Amino acid sequence: MHEQQRGWRQIKLAIIAATLLSPTSLHAASCCGGGSSSSLMLPKTATAMIDLSINQEIYNGFWEADGTRAEYQQGSDLKQFRLNTGFAYRLADNWQTSIVMPYTWNRNKYSGIERNTHGLGDTSISLLYEAFDDITCVWKVRKLSDLKPSIYWGASLILPTGTSPYDNVPDDFDITGRGFYRVDGTLHVEKTIYPFTAAVTFSHGVHIKRSVNREKSNYVEPYNKQLGNRTSITTAASYTYFMESLDTLTATLSYNYLTEGKSTIDGVKDSASGFKKNSISTALAWSDSDNQWILKLSWSHTIDRDNWGENFPITDVFTTGVSYVFQ
Amino acid sequence: MSSNNLLFRYLTFSICLFYLTACGDIKNDLLPSDSDLRESVESGTIGHRPSQISAEFQVTSSEGDLFTLSSYLENGDTPTDAIVLYFTMWCPICLGHSDHMFNTVMPQFRDRGDITFVLVDHISGSIALTRASEIASGYSDSEFITLADTEHTLLNQFHASNGTTVVISATGEILLNEDYRTGKNLIKVLDDLLAQ
Repeated sequence: MHEQQRGWRQIKLAIIAATLLSPTSLHAASCCGGGSSSSLMLPKTATAMIDLSINQEIYNGFWEADGTRAEYQQGSDLKQFRLNTGFAYRLADNWQTSIVMPYTWNRNKYSGIERNTHGLGDTSISLLYEAFDDITCVWKVRKLSDLKPSIYWGASLILPTGTSPYDNVPDDFDITGRGFYRVDGTLHVEKTIYPFTAAVTFSHGVHIKRSVNREKSNYVEPYNKQLGNRTSITTAASYTYFMESLDTLTATLSYNYLTEGKSTIDGVKDSASGFKKNSISTALAWSDSDNQWILKLSWSHTIDRDNWGENFPITDVFTTGVSYVFQ
Repeated sequence: MSSNNLLFRYLTFSICLFYLTACGDIKNDLLPSDSDLRESVESGTIGHRPSQISAEFQVTSSEGDLFTLSSYLENGDTPTDAIVLYFTMWCPICLGHSDHMFNTVMPQFRDRGDITFVLVDHISGSIALTRASEIASGYSDSEFITLADTEHTLLNQFHASNGTTVVISATGEILLNEDYRTGKNLIKVLDDLLAQ
């Protein structure tokens, strides 16, 4: 293979890997505070990137606290749509920052009520350090250093820009955010040996304790509340197919485990809080030969069986997205 | 100017405009306040706030019986020491709360006083669906009385939403009206009432 062509493909793989294998987002139930955003990951060769995606989340039931699967009431139809707008920017050779803002539409129908509400979700701001200087994708492992992975580590701050239960809302159907700041530490490791890529992402988040003086439309005696710590582990594998035109198609399969500990209210644990969730995702991405446009389709599925989650909705999330990369 | 720059500026401007128009009253969460902003109320007046008196209400239970507040007050047919209302839509958090109440709170008061625990279903829209949800959630043979608040009588009367917990004493006084939280406040209110 021609060296220039090989280098071009190397860059393309890095871009695809960065945009597809970045940390997955939490898609919580609208009644539990949905609309969270995920962080963006900028490819090594890029200076900036705009990312737009639309999620449709369909609720198929929920897990009770003991992991038992339960159905929503007959006739219920719960959906959430999100428009996620993201922008990533390279600050220095190995440093990048990004912001993702979701806008959320809740479409909820129970037998006795039908509500359509919308609003800004919680915003995510991230700072990532790339612990490598050159693209690490290789076609063949010839020496030990060819096994060196791309390692990213960094931090994210979730800003409570959504509508939470602590805002002036009539009920839970209006909620698009959780109402808490959260700081996440993230470690992302990925390796591409053409045409395969594997990645692992670990993140741990701590919610910041806050005062609450309002519960929806009622002011209450102020108290302190802190949501539990959150841990997420994602493993992903992908295969990239190069077309004649140098456009690419990449298929990805990933698994995510997400858990959040119990909240505390004035130091007392809230036994009804906390959750666990296992999900499997597939994604397909097309990238043009200029490495500028990336179109993405994905489907995230939570396993619809007992003990695959606790205290959390069972959902399918369908995502369509487009990224524009500034080289 | 390159097409990239033009595209970038156009998109940035459009996105900023969209989100700026979307920003509503978000400062409650960005800058949380610990100020007590509750308006003062006159004790003994009819209302929904603690220290006020609950207005009379009648709502049908999941078994088709009429639940009338005055029947459970001190001069009623079946007087109790207190009535606890919990507003549910049978969601994961709701069931977490009602399970906690059933497993942790109610046993503490089985041999002390006479407390009536009530689940208020404000979402189902019919008595049959309320009954179906009650059975599906495992409360059909429990000590809970389940009410089908199909007309949102109680929801509106107590300015409630999902998870709201209301305690009404035998005199009709509202002792508590807040989210369930940890159950600690509910236990304290009932303990204080029975200690009188």
